[in-house]
Amino acid sequence: MFVHRHAPSQRCFKGNRWLIPGDVAITDSRYMESSNTLWMRLPEEFSNDRLCVALGNRFEIRPLEVRHLTFWDTFEWGVWFGGCLLFNEGKHFHLCGREAGWIGSELCGEEISGGFPRFARDFAAMRGSLGGLLGLRGLAPVLEVKFRQRTADVRNVTGKIICRIELVEASVGKRTRDVSLRCCRIVPLRGYAPEASPVAEVLAALGAEPLGDGPLEFLLQSQGSAPREYTLRPVFGLKSEDPARKAFGRIVHAMLMIARSNEGGILSDLDTEFLHDYRICIRKIRSALGLIKGVYPEEETLRMRSILRNLACETNCLRDLDVYLLAREEYLSLLPPAFQPALDLMFQDFASERSRAFRKVSSHMRSPARVRFFEELEAFFQEDAPHPPSSSSELPVGPLVFRRIYKRYRKIRQSACGLGPDAPDEVLHGLRIQCKKLRYLMEFFAELIPQDKAAAMEKPLRRLQGRLGDFNDGSVQQKFLLDYWDKKQRASGGQTGMALSLGGLISILHYRRQQHREKIQEVLAAFLSPATAELFKQTFRLPAIEPTELPIP
Amino acid sequence: MKVLSSYSIKGGVGKTALAVNLAFAFREAGKRTLLVDLDPQGAASFYFRVDFSDKFKMKTARSLGEGLRKNIRESDFPGLDIIPSNLAYRHFDILLHKMEKRRKQLRSVLEDLRPDYDIVLMDCPPNITLLSENVFRASDAIIVPVIPTVLSQRTFAQLVGFFHDKGLPADIIRPFFSMVQSRNRMHRETMDALSSSQQGFWKTAIPFSADVERMGVQRMPLLAYSRACRAAVAYRALCDEILTQSNPIP
Repeated sequence: MFVHRHAPSQRCFKGNRWLIPGDVAITDSRYMESSNTLWMRLPEEFSNDRLCVALGNRFEIRPLEVRHLTFWDTFEWGVWFGGCLLFNEGKHFHLCGREAGWIGSELCGEEISGGFPRFARDFAAMRGSLGGLLGLRGLAPVLEVKFRQRTADVRNVTGKIICRIELVEASVGKRTRDVSLRCCRIVPLRGYAPEASPVAEVLAALGAEPLGDGPLEFLLQSQGSAPREYTLRPVFGLKSEDPARKAFGRIVHAMLMIARSNEGGILSDLDTEFLHDYRICIRKIRSALGLIKGVYPEEETLRMRSILRNLACETNCLRDLDVYLLAREEYLSLLPPAFQPALDLMFQDFASERSRAFRKVSSHMRSPARVRFFEELEAFFQEDAPHPPSSSSELPVGPLVFRRIYKRYRKIRQSACGLGPDAPDEVLHGLRIQCKKLRYLMEFFAELIPQDKAAAMEKPLRRLQGRLGDFNDGSVQQKFLLDYWDKKQRASGGQTGMALSLGGLISILHYRRQQHREKIQEVLAAFLSPATAELFKQTFRLPAIEPTELPIP
Repeated sequence: MKVLSSYSIKGGVGKTALAVNLAFAFREAGKRTLLVDLDPQGAASFYFRVDFSDKFKMKTARSLGEGLRKNIRESDFPGLDIIPSNLAYRHFDILLHKMEKRRKQLRSVLEDLRPDYDIVLMDCPPNITLLSENVFRASDAIIVPVIPTVLSQRTFAQLVGFFHDKGLPADIIRPFFSMVQSRNRMHRETMDALSSSQQGFWKTAIPFSADVERMGVQRMPLLAYSRACRAAVAYRALCDEILTQSNPIP
């Protein structure tokens, strides 16, 4: 039952408009557009009673609702940047839209039995929706909050609700007695935004202040875990005329920072992508150092490349096992059900081996030697590092890199032109490496390449790399599985069931590899097409410079 | 989205009470509901404390659609929105007459609301005009309150005749007995006669109730303030019957 109180007040309604004595109807439209998204922080002295009086007692407050919520997200904030919020209340998980910095309508939810899920595959009903947001990433709690929420209805003179005020008290952490935040927001009912806009002014008069992006972002920031964009292709802020060494140092420094940001995740073993990204950073830096020579003194460059190679090598085994374990479901699905249990034994072996590999990587990551290497790398690529000048160190980076890119493209074109469907495996493998180097160069210096042209050039390159990568994976996988079988046979004599399963799997992988090989021709033709060649030429071919200035790589 | 209309040629038969309470019951059943008050008297809007809508241009189907959308008001009950009445609706017929495809304009206007609502329920004025014909062509079902009296019986026959003359599908006319007084012998006899001669009657009948008349004082649907009274129970039963039809509402 609704209660309508008409206690005397300084404010009154007339013709459904708020009127304040000595004033005309409030027409300030500051809050009109944003009033349904405007969160306001409430002062300590704020009380619901004061608000009720200020609103002419046309204010009904509903019962208090207490909710203990834990919000979850990935390292990349996939849920947050996917415009959603994932939280649990006890055993029940909810995936909701993130609307105006707050929990929006529920997209899906489910009751979890057992431990907390980490990956999208650990959910049942929510698996599909979460798959797109999480990818291979694992979930971790990002915020635990106790919310004390009350909703109040504000009515007009006819008694119609014009807006609702959501009052929220949030306490973070376990010491819930400490109130971290008191805030509210006005949610006008559809069609009543103009009539509800003065309510924001009433709140402002009571000391409420705008709360930026809402309580969740405020609380996350207060916990030091504000959502931030994560990418392996950051913007380095390069200019074409920047000295090569300065530009290079900036790129490497940024990539090292990304690598470092993944260390915690590798050690906590939350998901496989931390190590994957860490390795990509290391590989990219190492590759770039080899591609543009003369920027740093040669001897020191070689030493840095050697450090980077060692850093990557330490993690090879763990990454390989991660890849095979991630492919478990796919591999099993390739075989008839009768062959699957034997293959499952292999994955059990991989899992145990992975535990060992992880311990090794973990101890390597924590080792003083690795920490020292990393410090050495960081110091080496500092902008003010005291390196003697070298042949290309002060050359403008734009022309220098463009020449290298064009040269690399021509080199690939030359070596790939005569390739037919029966090209030797080693040649295709070499082509893949060359393409990768070209791609890294183009990615590092993407800011200097005209965007429309970059996309047109990257597309055929990416497709070619994809096909070559699939082909190469087929070879590597077969070898890996055969090596495993050899080892297994030597250790315990092997089992017929496993031999059959592995034989079947390797045959299928071989067949798929042949299929990938056939598809290479098509994408290779696109990459070598006169149109693509012309595009590379137009973009990267520059007038020749004095031979003395350009060292031969 | 299904479009339903509460319609009768005769006034005072419980059209608005039906529209208001049925809309409330649909929303309680989890259906996103829009109540369109097409009656210039604006009784349905009054029950929800919603003022007349702002003036808007209704010269073309586009401006009519935009105007109606712009005037959607959220009721006090989440899930139920209202397009309130407008005095300009008294000119609806003239406006429709000037438009192309004048008999089907309302249908195309309502189509735009499809993503937002599961049910659109129209409360219609008591007459038989070009607007009524638009309503008939726009509706998936016309729910007609019939008081079991001779006059109501006569106007219902007029409606069926109109559908026949205009070649409209008569099976969308879905009457029900309204304001039934079970102790009244004439009511009982009329109900028996009509149910056996006319197909499509809903099984649920809404009893006469003073509680329904109190809606004007309470200014809210009966179901919001007196859920247990016989009429309220009957409205909910009618809602359930509509929702569990062979052609279910999504």
